[in-house]
Amino acid sequence: MSAPWLDVLDDTIRSCAAHNRPDLAERLREKRARQLDPKLRVLVLGEPKQGKSQLVNAMVNAPVCAVGDDVTTTVPTFVQHAETPNAALVRTIANTPTERIPVPLDQLASQVGAAHTGELVRAEVGIPRALLTSGLVLIDTPGVGDLRPAHTASTFAALLQADAVLMVSDATAELTASELELLKQVMTSCPNVIVVLTKIDIAAQWRRVVERNRAHLARAGVTAKLIPVSAALRLRAAKTGDKALNAESGFPELLACVQRDIVAAADELARRTVAVTAASAIKQLVTPVREELQSHGSQGAHATIANLNEAQRRIDELRRRSARWQTVLADEMADLVSDIEYDLRDRTRRILREADKTFETADPALGWEEFETWLEDNLTEAAATNFAWLLDRSAWVAEKVARSFPVHRDDLLPESVFPADVLARVSKMDKPVIEKFGVSQKLFTGLRGSYGGVLMFGLVTSLAGMPLINVISLGAGALFGGKSIMDESDQRLKRRQGAARAAAQRHVDDFFIKFSKDFRDAARHIQRSLRNHFSTLADELQETLLESARSARRAVQDDNTERERRAREAKLELDRLVQLYQRVQALGRTPPLGISA
Amino acid sequence: MTLADEVWVLLEEALAVYRDSPRAVAWLRGHQARFAEPVRVAVAGAPRTGKSTVASALIGEEFVPTGTFTWYRDGMRPRATVGPHEVPIARRDGRAFVDAVDADRVTVEWPSRSLREMTLIDTPADAPVEQVYGEADAVLYLTRHVHSTDLRYLRTAHDHPVARAAPVNTVLALARADEIGGGRIDALSSAKQIARRYRREAQVKPLCQNVIAVAGLLAVAARTLRAEEFAALASLASLPRTELEDHLLSADRFVGEDFPIRLDPSVRQGLVERFGIFGVRLTTTLIRQGFDTQVKLTGQLVQRSGLGELRDSIGLYFTGRHDVLKARSALLGLDVVLRNEPRSGSVGLAVGLERILATGHDFRELRLLAALQGGRTKLPGELDAEASRLVGGLGTNLLARLGMEYEPTEGELRHVVLDTLGRWREQAANPALDHGQRRAASVVVRSCEGMLAGLS
Repeated sequence: MSAPWLDVLDDTIRSCAAHNRPDLAERLREKRARQLDPKLRVLVLGEPKQGKSQLVNAMVNAPVCAVGDDVTTTVPTFVQHAETPNAALVRTIANTPTERIPVPLDQLASQVGAAHTGELVRAEVGIPRALLTSGLVLIDTPGVGDLRPAHTASTFAALLQADAVLMVSDATAELTASELELLKQVMTSCPNVIVVLTKIDIAAQWRRVVERNRAHLARAGVTAKLIPVSAALRLRAAKTGDKALNAESGFPELLACVQRDIVAAADELARRTVAVTAASAIKQLVTPVREELQSHGSQGAHATIANLNEAQRRIDELRRRSARWQTVLADEMADLVSDIEYDLRDRTRRILREADKTFETADPALGWEEFETWLEDNLTEAAATNFAWLLDRSAWVAEKVARSFPVHRDDLLPESVFPADVLARVSKMDKPVIEKFGVSQKLFTGLRGSYGGVLMFGLVTSLAGMPLINVISLGAGALFGGKSIMDESDQRLKRRQGAARAAAQRHVDDFFIKFSKDFRDAARHIQRSLRNHFSTLADELQETLLESARSARRAVQDDNTERERRAREAKLELDRLVQLYQRVQALGRTPPLGISA
Repeated sequence: MTLADEVWVLLEEALAVYRDSPRAVAWLRGHQARFAEPVRVAVAGAPRTGKSTVASALIGEEFVPTGTFTWYRDGMRPRATVGPHEVPIARRDGRAFVDAVDADRVTVEWPSRSLREMTLIDTPADAPVEQVYGEADAVLYLTRHVHSTDLRYLRTAHDHPVARAAPVNTVLALARADEIGGGRIDALSSAKQIARRYRREAQVKPLCQNVIAVAGLLAVAARTLRAEEFAALASLASLPRTELEDHLLSADRFVGEDFPIRLDPSVRQGLVERFGIFGVRLTTTLIRQGFDTQVKLTGQLVQRSGLGELRDSIGLYFTGRHDVLKARSALLGLDVVLRNEPRSGSVGLAVGLERILATGHDFRELRLLAALQGGRTKLPGELDAEASRLVGGLGTNLLARLGMEYEPTEGELRHVVLDTLGRWREQAANPALDHGQRRAASVVVRSCEGMLAGLS
């Protein structure tokens, strides 16, 4: 027949394993094994020098545990039933399995005190006693609160295996604060406690102490029986066979109580023990689950939300900045174009003035070729200087725009944004029309001029009676002819100069128009490529930031869903644990868990 | 200038610096007044360790515990005061009873030889350790059995710079020694052995100067033994041993019916309450062994109960070191003022305090003694024991320091001191010793020089 507590215990063990608490599971499994073990371990525990060992001796009516005036018990002593009296020491030597060394019963005390290699774990004593035949094991322990912590530690280790506890305190004084503290501590791992008040033979006031102790126990909320005994009287009674003295010692009552409350009620005890241990295990499991439920895993969420905020901030920053860099680019390029155009106009104008000055005196007919070369060279130089300036300025503009860009990258500046074919040649300059002033023309002009002179002076001289054609009129005619020729050639020179000037003007204008157009185109090209370059960069950047923002948002969303899922799970888990706890509570009196399911 | 003079001067300087602070002045004047008083010895310990019983035993009068701080001073006539008001001292079951329920502190003046050299303070069990150690110059700490909570208490008491610099003022007593071993007749010698073991215990050694066993109940009963009690005990002792033994098995049996001789149950009840079952067993045995007069019995009981040893310890460690304990308390008090009300002049005072603590030879002796007892300093071979004797570990008078058990002549004494001084001078320069050991030796040399100076 499997007891109901066994199911509850198994469920609790499973829960412990599910919650990654193998330590708890291990402890419960030990407990389970022990509960199934027919042996009943009764731990005799208390502060030093309260008469624990003497109590054990008196219970079995044999000096099995060493008793002394100073601190005597140093290792737990297990007293159990055996057909023939025997004793053994159990020791361990650095990580090896424990080793059992049989010793004669009467030498046990001295052997415990003697030096040993390794560490003594416990002493075992077997004696034939009716009391022990039911599987009762009395465990005498070193005093708690002794100056050697190792003693206390071994007592607490033994406590984990106990089915019931006899808490020993002597009747010469009431329970002290530290004893009550110890008692409460014991109750958490083993609720079956009987408080035994020893040494009532030497305490005249022991009845008052019993009263006070009952009050202390009630105040501390400890429900434990309190039995006053005297081991000295019991041992004396055993020696003399004095029944009355035995009754006086209080031991019959203690043994009856042990028989009734511990041996006979083994199942009840098991249930209570299991209830307490399972309850404490479940409490430990509940704490992290509840914490998780309360905190909503807020720590992780904080980080992801911070990431999201950061990403969004950077996107906004980029947007703000990209408006700025576009303005910068547009303004700077407009400035650049007007500056370049002015510069070009200035340079061409200077060239033109030079040409004008030249043609005021020079005859284009004579040095046109030279002039043409000069003009071409000058214009080319102006264009080159101007273009170089354009390049410098646009590089500067690119840098300025890059500066107003929100992030710094190595490839922020464009490699080259300049059109390759800015300087296409302008059409060849037109040569001005230069009329030839040939000999026949000169002759004709001379004749035409001389005609007037001959006629004028012939008429005048004819008045003087001279023939129309005479020396004077002929001379004047020659003179007039010469002048006509000179005038004519002068006029022609002027005309030629004017034509050359006009040609130069036209050429320079052509050049200017052509080049200013080219420069504008180049500038626009530069602007466009800069804009393209930077907007590509900005797009890339924005995309990156958007992506990180998106992933951050996704993370937050994921977090949320994950958290909700986990919270749901935790809630379910908590419900399960609470149900389990209720089942545990049904087993025995345990304090409420302190949570609402 | 002696240590007391130096401390007095320092207190005067402090009064000058703090003359405008009424609180500090009152505090410092209090400490000046305390300086001239007998050593204050507080009896402290956990509940039910027998504090009042031991205090009563030392005074020689049984007092009912008042449940509060009770100061026992020497006085011309019995008189008790709470604050400025006198309260009556009543008698209850033959015990002196001061009715002061809600008082913070009761002062009892009682004519007693033991109170001439010290003021006893009986403390309540829940008194804070700081208060106990603040009001008393020295503490007699009682415990039934040394428990880890006792060690915690004593460690707290030593956790102060001045306390560390002058680690002397606690004697640990295993009180209620009569209950050891279930009240066996040899319980007391057993208790003395246990006390001896604790004296060597590494954890206990640095916290107290000595561990002794004392059976408070027996001691107070011995000092206040009444004629009718003696008569009752004598009639008990007249019974055959085996017959009496049966009736002494338990307290219940002793006061029960069918007692073999005519002794009123109330008398028996009184006996067992005053002496304890162990006390009755011991006294009847002693009477049978021949201590059959009240005087003889009292003497024997005082000696057996450990009261004598307790008195010796108090004399050796407390009243014998009156000056240094008083100086220590005054410096502690001054330290409180300096820390609570720092001001421009207080730096100089703090330096003075530090100087006295660091250079005062008495303090250095105490530190060396503590180091030797605690095992922090170890001298080779015989030197260890000799050093602790010479710096006053067994008593601060000349003969105790020199370990002489007879009364020597002046010349002998001078010879011994010079010889010792020479040997320790050698040790102080001994290259085989390490630095700490040489320093210890030089403290011993200074002690020897002090003795020599005292001779001439």
